Amino acid sequence: MPALSRQEIFENVKQTLVDALSVEEDEVTEEATLTGDLGAESIDFLDIVFRLEKTFNIKMPQEELIPRDILSNPDYVNDRKLNAAGIAALKQAMPHADLSEFEKDPDIDKISDVFTVGSIVRFVEAKLAEKG
Amino acid sequence: MRWIWIDRFEQVETGVQAGAVKNVSLAEEHLHDHFADFPLMPPSLMIEGMAQTAGILVGEARGFAEKVILAKIKRARFDRLVRPGETLRYRAEIEQLTDAAASTLGRITVDDELVGEVDLVFSHIDQNISGLEFPQENFVFTEAFMALLNTFRQHGGERIEL
Amino acid sequence: MKFVLIDRISELESGKRIVAHKALSLAEEYLQDHFPSFPVLPGVLMLEALVQASAWVVREALDFAPSLVVLKEARNVIYKSFVVPGQVLTIESNCRELTPTESTFLASGTVAGREIVKGRLLLRHLSLAERDPRLTQTDERLRAGQRTLFGLICKPRAVGAAAG
Repeated sequence: MPALSRQEIFENVKQTLVDALSVEEDEVTEEATLTGDLGAESIDFLDIVFRLEKTFNIKMPQEELIPRDILSNPDYVNDRKLNAAGIAALKQAMPHADLSEFEKDPDIDKISDVFTVGSIVRFVEAKLAEKG
Repeated sequence: MRWIWIDRFEQVETGVQAGAVKNVSLAEEHLHDHFADFPLMPPSLMIEGMAQTAGILVGEARGFAEKVILAKIKRARFDRLVRPGETLRYRAEIEQLTDAAASTLGRITVDDELVGEVDLVFSHIDQNISGLEFPQENFVFTEAFMALLNTFRQHGGERIEL
Repeated sequence: MKFVLIDRISELESGKRIVAHKALSLAEEYLQDHFPSFPVLPGVLMLEALVQASAWVVREALDFAPSLVVLKEARNVIYKSFVVPGQVLTIESNCRELTPTESTFLASGTVAGREIVKGRLLLRHLSLAERDPRLTQTDERLRAGQRTLFGLICKPRAVGAAAG
């Protein structure tokens, strides 16, 4: 597959989200969050990952998208919230995501809220680059 | 009314695809309400027929280790009405299968004519604990479903002579 | 079972929006198979409830003109939790588009305020006589049956022009 431009990747991701979430094209902006702005549920995440894997012919392993091992590590979590060490580890494990809002209330049950359209596009870009 | 919406498997290719048939009969109670003067196979029950075909296919591919439940209907489209006396054929194929979930594509035909398409996502709920409570044992794959599969395996659809 | 998935309509804004209810009882026989040790309302029956609620909006708005209102397409219907016997599934369906032959709805079901199911529905409306004038009588019987059932289940708090 010839190398895709960022715009082409964005268009494909946008179409996938429109199909999977029954949202309008103009709702799918870079900053839109999948859960908050686009109404995605946890099953939608699984559906979206399947569709993107098929569209881009890449693998998007769950643990690379959301590092469950960090979220369930007792050294990093107090009372279902990440501590400073946990947040640092998370930032390293999720370079595609913007965690600045999440940091204000690092509730591990709200991790899905960090995913924006932009972070999905960045993740896909990285995976395509890996393939070379 | 039994909650079995397929009558017989015609083919099972482990991890790949499966085909089942369902006869639509006036002996079935629900047709008399849908509708009393013009019985029609309800689209929602055709979705269930596909869900059972595809769900058993997915379960069988994983040795029935997980509870496979319907989590999302991506799209279910129907092209015409289906009437008593018709035989529905469900063909499901696995599109994706992981530890957490599976997606399937499905076609429904009557006499080789396309009647509908149903694409589904199943969740392996043991892997996706989301605050739901459910029993430990695999309640999904009931004896009735296993019997359908066993009938297929043992006889492969052959006739039994008297 | 009786294939009636709406027990009661509590609100109906003509051509726009409906709030209806489906109560789940252990007396419903199919629950013995779904599932023997864990009886829950099958997902497709939740969908059927959403379809039937939406169909009532169509019929009431079009004065029962189409004798048949059927699901043409369901999109992105997701299931978030279970409905167990003793619970009531409250359905809200909002009409996005309504013509004599087609309609689109965004519908959802909740139990005690918790969302259980939601999805997008496209319904087709038709009469048999359109295809075969000999079926005019059948259309009339279908319409009469629907009006009777509507009278049984519709006890709305009047909103706009829709008082039952």
